[in-house]
Amino acid sequence: MTKTEKTTEFTSMSARRRTGNIIAYIVLILMSIIWLFPFFGLVLQSFRSYSAEYGGMVDYLMPHRFSLDNYRFLFTGETNFIKWYGNTLTIAFFVALFQTIIVLCVSYALSRMRFKGRTALMRFWLILGMFPGFLTMICLYFLLKQFGLTQAGAVPGLILVSIASSGMGYYVCKGYFDTIPKALDEAARIDGASRAQIMFQMIIPLSKPIIIYTALVAFMAPWCDYVFASYVAFGHDESYNVAVAMTRWVWTNDYQGYFTRFCAGGVLVAIPVTILFMALQKYYVEGVTGGAVKG
Amino acid sequence: MANSNTADTAVTKTNPVAAFFSALGSNFREIGTTFAKGDWRTKLSYLIMGFGPLLRGQIAKGLGYLIAEGMFLWYMIGFGAQYISKFSTLGTVETQKIHRKTVYGDNSFLILLFSILTIVIICALILLWRMNIRENFIEEKRLREGKPLETNRHFLTSFLDGNFDKTLLALPVLGIFMFTVLPIIFMICIAFTNYDKSHQSPTHLFTWVGLENFRNLFSFGSNGFASTFGTVLTWTLVWAFFATFTTYFLGMAVAMLINKKGIRFKKLWRTILVVTIAVPQFVSLLYVAKMFAGDGLVNGYLLKWGVISQPIPFWTNPTLSKIMIVLINIWIGIPYMMLIATGLLMNIPSDLYESARIDGASPWQMFWSITLPYMLFVTGPYLLTSFTGNLNNFNVIYLLTQGGPTSGRLTGNAGYTDLLVTWLYKMTVTATNYKMAAVIGIMVFLVTAVISLIVYNMLPSVKDEEGFQ
Amino acid sequence: MKKKFVAIMMAAATAGTLLAGCGSAPATDAAKADTAAETAATEAVAAATDAAEAVTEAAEGATEAPAADAGEVPGLVEGDYSTPQEVKVWVADNAVDFTNEQIAEFQKANPDLADWTFTVEPVGEGDAATNVITDVEAGADVYTFAQDQIARLVSAGALEEVAPDNVAWVKAANDEGSVGAATVGDTLYAYPVTSDNGYFMYYDKSVVTDPSDLDTIIKDCEAAGKNIYMEINSGWYNTAFFFATGCTLTYDTDDQGNFTAANVDYATDAGVAALKEMTKLANSSSFQNGSSAGNATNYAVIIDGTWDAESIKQVLGDNYACAKLPSFTTEDGQTYQMSGFGGFKLVGVKPQEDDAKLSVCDALAAYLTSGDVQLARYNAIGWGPSNTTAQASDEVKSDVALTALADQLQYTIPQGQYPSEYWDRAKALGDDIISKTITADASDEDLMAELQTFQDDCISYAQ
Repeated sequence: MTKTEKTTEFTSMSARRRTGNIIAYIVLILMSIIWLFPFFGLVLQSFRSYSAEYGGMVDYLMPHRFSLDNYRFLFTGETNFIKWYGNTLTIAFFVALFQTIIVLCVSYALSRMRFKGRTALMRFWLILGMFPGFLTMICLYFLLKQFGLTQAGAVPGLILVSIASSGMGYYVCKGYFDTIPKALDEAARIDGASRAQIMFQMIIPLSKPIIIYTALVAFMAPWCDYVFASYVAFGHDESYNVAVAMTRWVWTNDYQGYFTRFCAGGVLVAIPVTILFMALQKYYVEGVTGGAVKG
Repeated sequence: MANSNTADTAVTKTNPVAAFFSALGSNFREIGTTFAKGDWRTKLSYLIMGFGPLLRGQIAKGLGYLIAEGMFLWYMIGFGAQYISKFSTLGTVETQKIHRKTVYGDNSFLILLFSILTIVIICALILLWRMNIRENFIEEKRLREGKPLETNRHFLTSFLDGNFDKTLLALPVLGIFMFTVLPIIFMICIAFTNYDKSHQSPTHLFTWVGLENFRNLFSFGSNGFASTFGTVLTWTLVWAFFATFTTYFLGMAVAMLINKKGIRFKKLWRTILVVTIAVPQFVSLLYVAKMFAGDGLVNGYLLKWGVISQPIPFWTNPTLSKIMIVLINIWIGIPYMMLIATGLLMNIPSDLYESARIDGASPWQMFWSITLPYMLFVTGPYLLTSFTGNLNNFNVIYLLTQGGPTSGRLTGNAGYTDLLVTWLYKMTVTATNYKMAAVIGIMVFLVTAVISLIVYNMLPSVKDEEGFQ
Repeated sequence: MKKKFVAIMMAAATAGTLLAGCGSAPATDAAKADTAAETAATEAVAAATDAAEAVTEAAEGATEAPAADAGEVPGLVEGDYSTPQEVKVWVADNAVDFTNEQIAEFQKANPDLADWTFTVEPVGEGDAATNVITDVEAGADVYTFAQDQIARLVSAGALEEVAPDNVAWVKAANDEGSVGAATVGDTLYAYPVTSDNGYFMYYDKSVVTDPSDLDTIIKDCEAAGKNIYMEINSGWYNTAFFFATGCTLTYDTDDQGNFTAANVDYATDAGVAALKEMTKLANSSSFQNGSSAGNATNYAVIIDGTWDAESIKQVLGDNYACAKLPSFTTEDGQTYQMSGFGGFKLVGVKPQEDDAKLSVCDALAAYLTSGDVQLARYNAIGWGPSNTTAQASDEVKSDVALTALADQLQYTIPQGQYPSEYWDRAKALGDDIISKTITADASDEDLMAELQTFQDDCISYAQ
């Protein structure tokens, strides 16, 4: 191969790469538009003036007049929006806290310790997971009712139900623990450390990414919990979460002209969750990647 | 899981029934001999649990057993007995009116629920009782052999060390029992009762009906569910297949596109795409559903620009709505797979590609012979969980179409885009047809279990779990 | 069982015209009702003896009514109310403030109840029934619901009978149809609160040239590129077509809310004509399925009820107009005036385990549905009253939407009791039309077959 041939090959390759990249950029830009368009629309609608254009559905994108009417409506006490938001935040916070603790406990036990019935337990939980969650809704409702955790007590009730079955979601975390060398444990045990000490002083400090991942996923779930939350809290407006309260604005005929208000509420719900997610994205990626490999 | 599992199954496979009975037999023998040979403390422990250990100075263990028995008796007398006695009929006392006041009769729902709870508690106590006898047996044996008994302190601290697994798992297991296992047993029982809108507690009683609901599910009469069940099941499987594989391959493609050499702002592109994961689905999906409505934004503009003369029936045409759901699911699902694939693609040793390139392989060939096999190998479990997850993907379906459009050709208020789970949900909430909901729930379980079992055993990466450790 | 049928007959004139299978003959005003009833009765005798009984009895009912004392609202019966309890009330979100004010008045009028707690929660008429059925104990003690749920509520044990002392007053104070709607079997189970749960047509004056003819309306809207909204996948709205051509569909119930028999004749030529007209409408490029004004876009016509009046006024502005439903002409040249249901909202009391609380709930329900409160409610949130005195007031009479509704009501059938499966099945029928599973060019035989399955299904819901 002579030098000139080489350069022509190089230029043709780089030219091909350049056209390839241009196509790639076009695809990416198109995708970005598709991906962001609905959110763009949502934000625009949320700023549509209620007094000038009413709050119903429209078939145009650009509001004729911008205003903060819809946001003002949410905060002036005409609805319990602040209360719903607070409920969701409370649920999300406590679920994230306790679910992380429980998942860590279960994962540690299943990953680091070998005991009688370990595989049986794992298999049993796997089978339990194959039952659809909604099947047991009515039963859970009446169980919670026995403890007074429906309607007025729905918020703690929802927290309880979420964390009670969170032990079964140990896969990702256990997978992560499995990658920490067992030799570390053995060395510590020779030094006289108990199992509990190993867990709290060694494994947990090493598991920051997975803890953040678990907490993040647990925190995000309650924001879209519509099904069970509506079932547990019915008839008690003050214990609704945002999803239950706001889907009414779209689905129920009692709420005419609430569409832009729904959009405004949706924006307010989406912003903190999105920011949090973006900030912790790195850990999320680690978690899902690990989880995908470990199943 | 695999190594230890295969060992376990090998043992049980010899003859599980025989093994079970021989274990049961040896248990009974031990209970008998312990009683015959034991001292008076042991003998009394058969009646008063933990009595032996208490008198032998094993305060912690003894008290534990004693308290457990006390609580059991308190529960049974104060609560359990009244329910379990009505278990066979699920209640007989009808609701009455005294003057205008309502006096509720038996509550079949609570009778069934607490009967199951009581049965489980009785089983647990029998197990505990058996452990209590074993404990006495061991203690006596140790004393006979002149060995010291375990100190209370050692017993208690063992829960932070040797028995740490019990400490860690106690609460999760209890929680899962109360809020998952118990309700599932309960709902399975409901499938064998006539609990529906005309037999609703507390006003009306419901009772056992045997297999009638299952017969109804498989009957082809005018109100039989069989043909509808077939339609819904088929769509559920078709949907899960498309939802899983479209997002899988497209997600991978997008990841490769962003990973491509020379593409800048990689982080920006990824961040834009993951916005669909971050925004709560009830917001994004409800908005998208309205966007594509017959009178929504998309149709509005297409009509205005004269592209179409009739609104496109995105949600009202059965076929089109199915396609739309799969497409919108791609919108939701690509980012997950993209994130997963991005990390994994980096793990593929670059010298593999290098040598392939020297052999003159095209990018396409490299994808087929290197990237795809590797990805399929490592993400096998993900594919399985994502498939079973999609079988039960409530949010996408319900927030977009609520299962519609319905049709006179389907029974039980099912729609063409209903999955088994959304159908189950409608049956529970809208129609309060709990008995059929329970039957459908069991069917969902069976479908999931069968598919999981088949696929699970085919996965190459599952066969060697401990290998990863 | 005939009695139930009687009960749902609101105006004898309506019943007469409909039974005779000729919806296009309007009865001009209420004064004519008696004579019309007589003619109707004679006509009906020829058609069906059952129906004849119904109409005559309805007419008798109408004459009996004024005899009862409609003025005095039954208050709290004598009793011991010293132990304060909590009473939960469910109403639609926009009625919460109004209801709170009224309850304060109620407490003021009954000093015994000063220490009682009344909580009002926003649970709409649609959700109330579903929720209260899910768990009767956690449901509200007093709640508003749409009448289509009443049989389901009764059979689930979620409705207490109206206190015997109040029955005569309820029957006397409210219009016939609303009383019929609140009656299951022979028992009065609820207090009527509105009579405006019917539908009519809102339209844009600048688009629609002739609001009395459906074909013209469709043409106008298509030309203007505006939408026509009608929720044809609803068992409630689709009767506008079926009842127009003379089909009937009613159910008999017993006192426990069980459906004992279905009286349905959809699988007839009349039914086919109605179904054809529905497919024709659904085929228009202007057609949109729906009846929720807030979710409707770019509309010139919407078939809807009074509850959306404000919302539509906001959107249509000066072009806002209302009319009775239009009439349509079939291929064979016959013209039918669209009919439909006249429906009602009711206030129900949940069965109680305590006598004092039950009396309080009854008194509260009676108070909230009394004429004065109904009128006040109309002024506050625009709900059209079922109380005959309130209906006669000037404010109500001058309301555009309510006038249109009143016009339409002459052609409608007061809604009786229907099993929940019926609504699901009718939705499925409508969905089939919208999804073009039933096409506009389907042969008469195909349409007849569709209606035959529909009819068979409807019959199978009654045991």
